[in-house]
Amino acid sequence: MSRRIAIVEDEPAIRGNYVDVLRKQGYEVAAHGNRADALAAFRTRLPDLAVVDIGLGDDIDGGFALCRELRAMSATVPIIFLSARDSDFDIVAGLRLGADDYLTKDVSLPHLLARIAALFRRSDLLATPQASEEILERGPLTLDLKRLTAHWAGKRVDLTLTEFWMVHALARFPGHVKDRDGLMHDAKIVVDDSTITSHIKRIRKKFMVLDAKFDCIETVYGMGYRWK
Amino acid sequence: MIRARIALGIRAQLLLVLTVFLAIPWLGYEYVRELERFLRDSQERTLAGTAQAVATALHDRPQLFEVRAAPLDTLPSERASDDVTLRPGAALETPESPEIGQILHGLSRTTARIWVVDRDQHVLARAGSLRHPSAASAGSAAEGSSISRFGAWLDREALQPLYSKVLQQPTEEFSDERSGGAVAAGRDVEGALAGILTIDRRPTADGRAIIVSAAHPIWVGDEVKGAVIVEETTNAALAERNRAFARLFNIVLAALLVGSVALTLYASWLSSRIRRLRDEAEAAIDARGRVRRPLAGSNARDEIGDLSRSFGSALARLTEYASYQEAMASRLSHELRTPIAVVRSSVDNLALQPLPGDARVYIERAQQGLSRLANIITRISEATRLEESLAEAERERFDLARVVAGCVDGYRAAYRDQVFDLRGPSGEVPFYGAPELIAQMLDKLCANAVEFAAPATPIIVALKHEENAVALEVANEGPPLPAKMQGRLFDSMVSVRQNRGDGEPHLGLGLYIVRLIAEFHGGRASAANRDDVQGVTVSVVLPRVRAVR
Repeated sequence: MSRRIAIVEDEPAIRGNYVDVLRKQGYEVAAHGNRADALAAFRTRLPDLAVVDIGLGDDIDGGFALCRELRAMSATVPIIFLSARDSDFDIVAGLRLGADDYLTKDVSLPHLLARIAALFRRSDLLATPQASEEILERGPLTLDLKRLTAHWAGKRVDLTLTEFWMVHALARFPGHVKDRDGLMHDAKIVVDDSTITSHIKRIRKKFMVLDAKFDCIETVYGMGYRWK
Repeated sequence: MIRARIALGIRAQLLLVLTVFLAIPWLGYEYVRELERFLRDSQERTLAGTAQAVATALHDRPQLFEVRAAPLDTLPSERASDDVTLRPGAALETPESPEIGQILHGLSRTTARIWVVDRDQHVLARAGSLRHPSAASAGSAAEGSSISRFGAWLDREALQPLYSKVLQQPTEEFSDERSGGAVAAGRDVEGALAGILTIDRRPTADGRAIIVSAAHPIWVGDEVKGAVIVEETTNAALAERNRAFARLFNIVLAALLVGSVALTLYASWLSSRIRRLRDEAEAAIDARGRVRRPLAGSNARDEIGDLSRSFGSALARLTEYASYQEAMASRLSHELRTPIAVVRSSVDNLALQPLPGDARVYIERAQQGLSRLANIITRISEATRLEESLAEAERERFDLARVVAGCVDGYRAAYRDQVFDLRGPSGEVPFYGAPELIAQMLDKLCANAVEFAAPATPIIVALKHEENAVALEVANEGPPLPAKMQGRLFDSMVSVRQNRGDGEPHLGLGLYIVRLIAEFHGGRASAANRDDVQGVTVSVVLPRVRAVR
């Protein structure tokens, strides 16, 4: 059974390109140009994954509302925001609504495909309870590379895909400094330095919710970050 | 220098306008002359009246003229009596006609000199004198407050001498050709003897006084038997005129003085307001032409208040425009993202197609161009994102020296061809701020220095630890700053780079980011040419003692 991806994007050219490339990859694609159409389609049948733009025509925050509604219908369906907006405010707002990732539109199609594949893998493996053998352990940190999940002292850390890849890139070689370009490469994103900084900040905060003394991600000024 | 010119301007102009009021003394002078004419007329009328009155007493009394008049030269005592001050009745010591003398006696207390002559112009009687003791100089001793005493002193020392130059002063020192006891043949006497009331005005021989005389015929029946001549100097009228003139002048002078002082004060106040407005307007815009702070429009309801308010609104519009310009970059990057996504996804799609070999080349070029474009947008958004993130940046206490040293280590790794020379204090430099921002700022400073550095020259990164501030300086050798750009280097989208064709976008945002971070820490960024070698030093001064927000 092929996977079904919903694309909600108001710009027809981009929508068409995404539909084409995803279909070529063997996915079943439903494309919607506005929030009402998308919502009607979701009510009929939930997609396996949704790629949602935030601004939908005149509905400047339509994507946010759609994400909230979709999340209300299903707690597990992966949602990726794909937007031209790159402010911290939008990223935080989007992730808070339960999206699994937030990408800006300058992401390349191969990167987008990689993310979609990774998210599918994660949702598949979450459904199957058996233990995965690909586990990375660093002290209290446990990364399940198949399921793309992170645990800190046995408790689940709710990381987005981008954040997970960053934590993985850092924790793989503790003590080694990972510069920003390296982090971008590993997380398959192209953003500016201060976006990396805010990603790191968000990751630290997520760990600190579980452990107030968390300080494993160290900033090495002028170079990058490293896992202690 | 501009200030002095402006201040002088308004005050001088108002004082110039004030000279219009100098016409007032002239008008006053005209008025006083009118008054003098009136006084003279009334003096003439009075004299004529007196002459008529005396003549009336003597009409139709022929016996009075029976006595032979004395010859002209037989009145030596008369001569003497004219030279001394008035003694009542002195003129009547040897009356030629005792009876007439008797009648005149009662009139001798007037200020006039009265003669009675017969037809042959022989003097029959005389009374009174032309000379009178000065009545003015009496009184007004040193009494009253010091101000009035000062006023009196000023009047005596400065004004009166001035007036006496302008106005003719009455004097009792004059020669009187009629003092000889005889009435010289004058127009008045002749007229009276011809039977007509005649009024005459003649100067004394030495010209120091003017004598007004009225002559009235004395009738006995239809025959003119003699004449009454009443004479008086114009001194009294003159003195009266002078007094009026002096009083008027004193008042006008005082009014002018008070007026000009008040106007000068007013002009000073006015020009000080204008100057303050100008200073405010100058202070509101800094050397880079950016609005430093809005102008607090004055509440005054006059034109200057209006001016300051319209200055204020003009500055507000300028601020809006500037922020619009700065927001341009953000909007631009946002608007460009969607079409770029269209192109990128299309090219990526194309790349996934089976294509002939030469088509791949074009796709690769298109992708290169796209990644350059994406790079530009990333840089633009870095500046705008920084502006946003500054609002929620968290400050902490950290060792600035360690951050700087770490950064420089990073640059040594990143720019392997470049020598970095770190000069800083050995110990800790505690600082309160956002370390990532400081690192980002140093990134930009060093990237900038590397770009301009001449090959094989060191880049000096200096951290200077002062009492109240830290200074972070990054110096390189290379081309000096173009003079006209010096003030604008730290503005958004300002770049002094020559186009080197190396494909790297030069958006002029690096130093703008430096400025934003420096200003966030309450500091200031500046750039200057180096003194020792040709090159540029960009320095950032950050105040160290900073209250926790």
